[in-house]
Amino acid sequence: MTTFAQLAANDRDSLIKALREGRGKGALLCNVDLSECDLQGVDLSEARLSRANLQGANLTKANLRGAFLDWANLRNASLTDACMEFAVLGAADLSDADCSGADLRRSNMVGIKAQRTLFRDAQLYYSRPGNGNFREADFSGADVQRAIFRRANLAGANLSKTTGTANFDQANLEGVTR
Amino acid sequence: MILAHFLTASNESNSFLVACEATREAFLVDAGAFEPAMSEFIDANRLTLKTIFITHGHYDHTDGLDGLIARYHPRIVAGQTPCAGHKADVVRHGDTVSVGNLKGTVLATPGHTPDMVCLHFDRMVFTGDALFAGSVGGTSAAAAAQQQLDAIRNHIFTLPPETELHTGHGPSSTVAIESQFNPFFVD
Repeated sequence: MTTFAQLAANDRDSLIKALREGRGKGALLCNVDLSECDLQGVDLSEARLSRANLQGANLTKANLRGAFLDWANLRNASLTDACMEFAVLGAADLSDADCSGADLRRSNMVGIKAQRTLFRDAQLYYSRPGNGNFREADFSGADVQRAIFRRANLAGANLSKTTGTANFDQANLEGVTR
Repeated sequence: MILAHFLTASNESNSFLVACEATREAFLVDAGAFEPAMSEFIDANRLTLKTIFITHGHYDHTDGLDGLIARYHPRIVAGQTPCAGHKADVVRHGDTVSVGNLKGTVLATPGHTPDMVCLHFDRMVFTGDALFAGSVGGTSAAAAAQQQLDAIRNHIFTLPPETELHTGHGPSSTVAIESQFNPFFVD
């Protein structure tokens, strides 16, 4: 359940403390600056983090299920083994981020920037990466069953050892490793 | 506002429950199945399910109606009647649907079905199978496809860009994402 509420915090340190104490679920955190923060394992499920700055943040094993991260800055973030099922990552910038082992099932990655991003062994079942930029991204070992890469840029991406059948209609597959 | 999402076993369709915090009255958008999690949520939060809004009459959005009606006796609201064999209050574009202190506006988006309707609140739209993240609903003819694209452009993409779109299948999205990046709308 989500009952949206602005998380009361006077400063960045107080906010990080509140999140670590488990008060992030469903929180309204649009435009917040949490860059370079250690948020490993925090529960941000269904939170509204649109346009948040999470560059370089450690979100390893974080719960971002159903969170809105549209237009968020997640460059160089660690999202290994994070749960992002149903997360809205549309137009977010995940360039050089590490999503290895992440659960991205049914996630919205429409228009995402994910150059050189690691998706090794990630679950992308029924995800929507249409029109995304995945240039030189690494999907090795990922489950891409029913993922819709329509018009995505996958130039130079590594799709070796992926499982499942995805939709690559009008996608740029130049130099892809299979 | 209380919002809950349920992934049903009926073709992986989504149902959304919206409730007024003040009155505890709730409505459900689409009912592909009567999932146990729905009644657990309604009971645990002491909600009264007053209305079920059906975006269109396909089985994966209506198969749960029998069970839900038997248990909660809600009013059915849809773009057609009967709806999956149940009497429904028919709504048209611009009509208002109220539950508790919440008021939504009906948006007609024909194409996937002729009587497809979406429901708009101040910062979210429940789009059924008209609009998905990175896609649109399937149609049976070119004219219907164009009609659907036009309705989405005119009734949904004119809303504020941060408006959340909660879809009938797959992930949610926003007006800004879909109007700028959905491959069916951009070159």
